[in-house]
Amino acid sequence: MGNSIRKQVADLFQFALILCAAVVILVPIYWIASGAFKQQVDVFQLKLLFTPTLANFEEIFRSPYNLHEKFFNSVLVAGTTVIVAIPLATMAAYSFSRFRLRFERTMFLMILSTQFVPAVVIVLPYFLLFRDLGLLDTRVALVLVNLSLILPFAIWMIKGFIDGIPLDTEEAALVDGSSRLQVIWNIVLPMALPGILTAAIFCFILAWNEFLFAVIITNSKAVTMPVGLSLFHAEEGVLWHLISAAGILIMLPMFGLAMIIQKHFVQGMTLGAVR
Amino acid sequence: MASVTLKGITKRWNEFIAVKDLSLLIEDQEFLVLLGPSGCGKTTTMRMIAGLEEPTHGEVFIGGRKVNEDLPKDRDVAMVFQNYGLYPHLSVYENIRYPLKVRKVPKSSHLEKVRQAAEKVQLDHLLKRKPRELSGGQRQRVALARAIVRTPTVFLMDEPLSNLDAKLRVTMRAELKHLQHELKITTVYVTHDQIEAMTLADRVAVMDHGIISQMGPPEEIYNDPANLFVAGFIGSPPMNLMKGKLYENNFQHPNFSISINHKANLEEATLGIRPEDLILCAAQKGVLKGTVYAHELTGESTLTTINVGPDRLTIRGPKEFKINIDEAVGVQFEASKCFLFSNQTGERI
Repeated sequence: MGNSIRKQVADLFQFALILCAAVVILVPIYWIASGAFKQQVDVFQLKLLFTPTLANFEEIFRSPYNLHEKFFNSVLVAGTTVIVAIPLATMAAYSFSRFRLRFERTMFLMILSTQFVPAVVIVLPYFLLFRDLGLLDTRVALVLVNLSLILPFAIWMIKGFIDGIPLDTEEAALVDGSSRLQVIWNIVLPMALPGILTAAIFCFILAWNEFLFAVIITNSKAVTMPVGLSLFHAEEGVLWHLISAAGILIMLPMFGLAMIIQKHFVQGMTLGAVR
Repeated sequence: MASVTLKGITKRWNEFIAVKDLSLLIEDQEFLVLLGPSGCGKTTTMRMIAGLEEPTHGEVFIGGRKVNEDLPKDRDVAMVFQNYGLYPHLSVYENIRYPLKVRKVPKSSHLEKVRQAAEKVQLDHLLKRKPRELSGGQRQRVALARAIVRTPTVFLMDEPLSNLDAKLRVTMRAELKHLQHELKITTVYVTHDQIEAMTLADRVAVMDHGIISQMGPPEEIYNDPANLFVAGFIGSPPMNLMKGKLYENNFQHPNFSISINHKANLEEATLGIRPEDLILCAAQKGVLKGTVYAHELTGESTLTTINVGPDRLTIRGPKEFKINIDEAVGVQFEASKCFLFSNQTGERI
């Protein structure tokens, strides 16, 4: 009997903790989501019942905000980054996974160590570099910066998936008559595809959310969505209703991608079990 | 169809020598089994034939053509792997068809060839499935079908049955033997399972520490072991080995002596005798005496283990035989059934 009560109390405690965590995580999202549909005067009122409006979404696409331009920049920068990064990272990851190279460990450590350098340390050299190259406030500069940030991460992630492909399978393909390139194209890529997709989506999210470099390197033409958010202020202060509407637009693709990741990530994890 | 010749091949990784100056001629259409414990170099030898490892020294010939510089795809061999090496994203049909596809065999013949190969291994009803939907035995058959679909000159099989359960292994063993007999393709088969080696091989090469310890037909390996390693490795349970002295036609063990017609005198020798050549009897009647340590029924026979001084002997008896643990027993055997080895060289004397 005593045990049963103790278990109930423990369950209740567990439930309360989960609820707290959920509230902490979800309240800001709720605040943004509701704010996006409120009029400016209602934003700071916590009332649950209000008349929803789509006016905020209309306004953010009008001058002077022109969010569609920033949205386009974001899509182009993040998309190009992923399109360039993933093939390069896959080739590098395959080499690291399958070939015994000279100074392989050192090279891999060096690639990984770039991830531990705080972005703020390298932002100034990048700024000076792009200024000298005449690339300030261009999407090319943002793609280059994002590549340098994302490639090491993508190599590391894809290598993990390729490591999970049994060597026997590749060797079977070699003996069956494939060249090394055919092995990669016919066998490794399809088998690592869930992993490569996962890496691609992670990279897209990283590039999509990148703020620090974008805010320093761009100022008008190449401004991306996260930087665009900081432009919503006027004489009367920060325009939270517009920030909320733009925030929703930034988050929506991420929610969609997160759902795809979830499905493929599980597939990727179980890939090695298939023999 | 082709012979395979290895001339003085060595494989070395830094200080470790996996295969040492190994020479071997595998005749056309022969079924050769490379047998040995883990790490003896048998798989490495096979991988060098396949082209998956490059020999540090020596030459590999397939069908009289030196293939050292050839890529695996250009050696015209087919290989079956321990873990099958199937392509999990392709259907059974696509798996079997893969060698035809990459070797640019005319597409019109694919369906027929795949169907024929699948029929040979009784897979024709599973062609649409993915490998993950198959049992271990079925996966093994897919790997086999993929190997036979294009009639290679040499089959290489790396412990293909080791992932199967005991019953399936016996069935697949018979099927493999039948298949090789039907296709008449030179086959090199790697295993650590001596039953597989004895049942499948035309010749067995027993490997130890990167060299061939003995090579010959299975019955020769079993009945006429060349050294202590082969004597101790072949046979289940293995040969009983007892250390003693060989002196004036007499083998002297701390607990017994037996007259043996051998002129050599050796301070350190080993006497070997198979479990089925020993007969249990009353304690006072035996050549040697001991006490029963364990008694097991294996089904078709019994195995009695007895302690004789420092040694433990295993004796195979009829399945009806019963005895109690710690009972004193005698053991009889004929000198003609004994093998003598030098402890110093390990060689038969």
